[in-house]
Amino acid sequence: MKIYISGLYSGTNPQPGIGVARSLRAAYPEANLVGVEYSNRCSGIHWQDFDELWLQRPWEELNLDAYAEGIKEVLDGGALWISGVDLEIMWLASVFPEGHKNLLTPPASALRQISKPAVEASQSLPLRIPTYISTERSDWELHAFCRQHGWKVWLKGPYYEAVRTYSWDMFERVRTALSRAWSTEKLFLQTHVTGYEESVCFSAYKGELTGCVYMRKRELTEEGKTWAGDVTEAPEEFVAPLRKVVRELNWTGGAELEMVRDTGGQLWLLECNPRFPAWIYGSTIAGRNLPALMVERATGVPAKTAETPCEEFTRIVLEVPVRPQFPLPSLPEPFPGAIGHSMKHPSGTLALAERLHKLHIIGEDGNGNGNSNGNGNGNGNGHHASAETVKTGAGVATVTVAAAPNAAPSVPPSFIADLDTYALQEMETPAWLFLESTAESLFKRAGELATQLTTSTVKVTNGYSIKTNPDERLIKLAKESGFLAEAISLLEVQKALKTGFKPEQVILNGPGKWWPEGLLPSSPIHAVFSDSIADLRRMAASLASKELQAKIVGVRLRTPGSRFGIPVDTPDALRALVEAIELLPRDSAFGVHFHMASSNIGVRQWWHLYESMLRWCRSVESLSGRRIECLDVGGGWFPDDWHTESSDQFAAAVQSARKFLPGVKEVISEPGKAMAQPSMALAMRLLEFEATGEGEINEAVVDGSIAELPMHFFQPHRILHRDERTQEWRALRRGKTQLLGRLCMEHDIVATNVELPKGAQVGDVLVFCDAGAYDRSMSYVFGRG
Amino acid sequence: MSLAEDKLIEVNEADFVDTGAAIEKWRHFPYSAILHHGRLCCRIAREWIFSHDYTQLNGEHPLTGPRWIRQKWTWGPSSWPISWCEAVERKTLDCGALAAISQEVYTARGVTNYPAQFIQQYSEDSVLHWQKKWNGEEVSTHWINEDLIYHEGCAVVTRDAEIKLWDASAGWWVNPKQFGGYGGLLALRISAPQSVSGAFEWGTHRIAPNQWQKIERARNDFAHPSANAHSRAAAHD
Repeated sequence: MKIYISGLYSGTNPQPGIGVARSLRAAYPEANLVGVEYSNRCSGIHWQDFDELWLQRPWEELNLDAYAEGIKEVLDGGALWISGVDLEIMWLASVFPEGHKNLLTPPASALRQISKPAVEASQSLPLRIPTYISTERSDWELHAFCRQHGWKVWLKGPYYEAVRTYSWDMFERVRTALSRAWSTEKLFLQTHVTGYEESVCFSAYKGELTGCVYMRKRELTEEGKTWAGDVTEAPEEFVAPLRKVVRELNWTGGAELEMVRDTGGQLWLLECNPRFPAWIYGSTIAGRNLPALMVERATGVPAKTAETPCEEFTRIVLEVPVRPQFPLPSLPEPFPGAIGHSMKHPSGTLALAERLHKLHIIGEDGNGNGNSNGNGNGNGNGHHASAETVKTGAGVATVTVAAAPNAAPSVPPSFIADLDTYALQEMETPAWLFLESTAESLFKRAGELATQLTTSTVKVTNGYSIKTNPDERLIKLAKESGFLAEAISLLEVQKALKTGFKPEQVILNGPGKWWPEGLLPSSPIHAVFSDSIADLRRMAASLASKELQAKIVGVRLRTPGSRFGIPVDTPDALRALVEAIELLPRDSAFGVHFHMASSNIGVRQWWHLYESMLRWCRSVESLSGRRIECLDVGGGWFPDDWHTESSDQFAAAVQSARKFLPGVKEVISEPGKAMAQPSMALAMRLLEFEATGEGEINEAVVDGSIAELPMHFFQPHRILHRDERTQEWRALRRGKTQLLGRLCMEHDIVATNVELPKGAQVGDVLVFCDAGAYDRSMSYVFGRG
Repeated sequence: MSLAEDKLIEVNEADFVDTGAAIEKWRHFPYSAILHHGRLCCRIAREWIFSHDYTQLNGEHPLTGPRWIRQKWTWGPSSWPISWCEAVERKTLDCGALAAISQEVYTARGVTNYPAQFIQQYSEDSVLHWQKKWNGEEVSTHWINEDLIYHEGCAVVTRDAEIKLWDASAGWWVNPKQFGGYGGLLALRISAPQSVSGAFEWGTHRIAPNQWQKIERARNDFAHPSANAHSRAAAHD
């Protein structure tokens, strides 16, 4: 019996070839095992169980037709072939569309059914698939997906690699790297599931399940790969439907379903690999030799069984002698000044991916380019639910994203209506554009919502954070819509007063609130919150001397990860806070403020934080004996999240506040940039661009810069271009162009991966929407002489 | 394994362990409880623990093990009795205190749970080290009996009678599939009110409440010599 085994890489993220060889050697001591590899740098070629080696050139050098012919000869000659490389398996499926009795890999039709992230074939299995979205969607939608899932998301390649992306700039960097590496834009973002990693591994021959085990990871590498595990019988409720799936797919070969079990016991499928896992010898140790069971079924030759099985296995590091006929290759020269030797993928796996893409063997269907798929939403019977709903549209609507790939982001009609009021071609750029009707509608809605949420016992009020954008037009709109003005300095207090606010409508907050001296209003302000114990002492002294007068005095509680507010992260800190509250005068009402940007931590996390802070407030109230009458909740809401969050959710939040703090009479909500961000846009002009020989525009220079868009690193902006012929505004799609700012600074890139519209010309105006919050208020003068 | 009459025979090491004597030693040993002074000092401590726990839960499932407890406190000798205000000030707490805190935390989360007492097997080297450490702190070593130790945790009800065992000192769930050996759980007692009549289900074990119960060693799923030939997968084809 001669068996060819490929996938011998044996580093920290190993391929299964060695484990398969060890398993087959245990079952068939006399078999002739041939190791197949594509680089003499893969240490697995030196493993003792291989009787022969068939070392190929790396995939970028291989003549695929000749290699296919060689494999056919091998198979026709009676040898078996077990592949441990996903891409090789896909290629073999194209080489042998009708299969081959000695080729122990799955057919192309089965591979399509298990391609991630949808894994269609798993529908009848007792598991669900974490929610995902294709990166062919617009950046606006991808950012929304990340926020909705609290930035607990993984960016995954179509075949290998997954990187946790914690922030927008990290996502952008990883997307570029993975797209380049795997020659495709078809990546996907998938939500993280917290839990324990488990696998079901099976082998099959011509649709017949020959063996199946269940493995729990017990030790993991830093990359999350199995280092130790226990192997047991797979539960019958899993095996029964699996057997049916295997039959329907006419599966041949090994396979692994990689899953996570969450705390509630639900299994989530991460992916289905069309091959044995690298830990396959662990199954053999446990007494279930899956490769042997498959070979036994394919050949009819009985396999020898293990006699002293052990359910638990672990890995160790071993040094083995190098085969004299394959001496170690030299290390590549490090790049000057670089660390390491840049030796990833010595077998040329990336080149194989590129070649298979060009041959249309992979990447056409089912490799991450499917519709968004919501499966974490509790729809009882399975995981292939309707398209993920992504909130878009700056407070105008909740839009279900259409299935078209590379779709442009949707833009609220009010943006267009406001932009049409400007004569942009005559305008000097870069220029800020106030979107008046958009701003009016946002403030109006917020005011109406506060009224709607107000009950007989609790008054709900909005607060406008002046620092978000101190533009007088916005401050006036806030005033007219019944907002309070939240200031972080006495200069901001004065600005509010000059714009029409009365002192009793002003909230004073933040660590530098007393700056500059001498500008405190002489009459009582609405509320003031201390940011530290020292600040509280100063506040108490000011109140005692009547320098400061306020209807509500209180404290800002520090949220996890924040530098602002009074910490409660130790019992001592809580005790200090409780004691300090004693200093506050009893003739003012007592209030608590807390703040965390929902755009940074995600919507779900924000609501958890809200519940958490209510518990802290209850503790503070109970321990200090001071009834909390005012709750001031800050924000940093991304506009789409705040405006599309249902009023039911806010109503429940008010009820919850009342439940935890029965004395609360006022809830102040600070929607932050939810008001300001959509209210302004930035117009800039195309200064120059040039198409490459292939007609692609890789770079275009604009007269705007990161000095006007400092938030570029934190959020995408929807970019509009008006067709001069039709006068129609169109949002830029994803593409290959980088928009370079005018500054002579390396990092001045205001947009990456956009597509300049056909017909765009030098001098055309591009409008960057969603720039009315910190882009506007934190923009700086740079490079203007 | 040991040799007898020139034949290699399988011996379960746990068979040599006198679990019965250990149970006898700790038969009347109560689970740990932390004192409350009835004053603000202990109220602050408890409020802090509960609010902090909710924050640390980070929106995850209420059954999630409170790993933060083991991050805040090192496992080690603590003198008893101990009050809540003292416990939060300490840097080191023993298994009884850590278990008691985790029980209170689960209760605050609304999760039904019960005190769990363990008898575990370690090695003579380990217990010698622990003995010296506890003696150095002038704290009782009543929890050590040769190579067996008394330990505490928290039985968390996941569904109906189903439980999981949270080892607050280790920050992990005890594996219900027990093979004995180093760290193996030999006996378990779950203290529940009289109103809890039926047995708890812990993996494949059925645990009667309020009595020490030896934990049966697990058999390997594929231990049968003909496991391959009679695999579940094949048997149903």
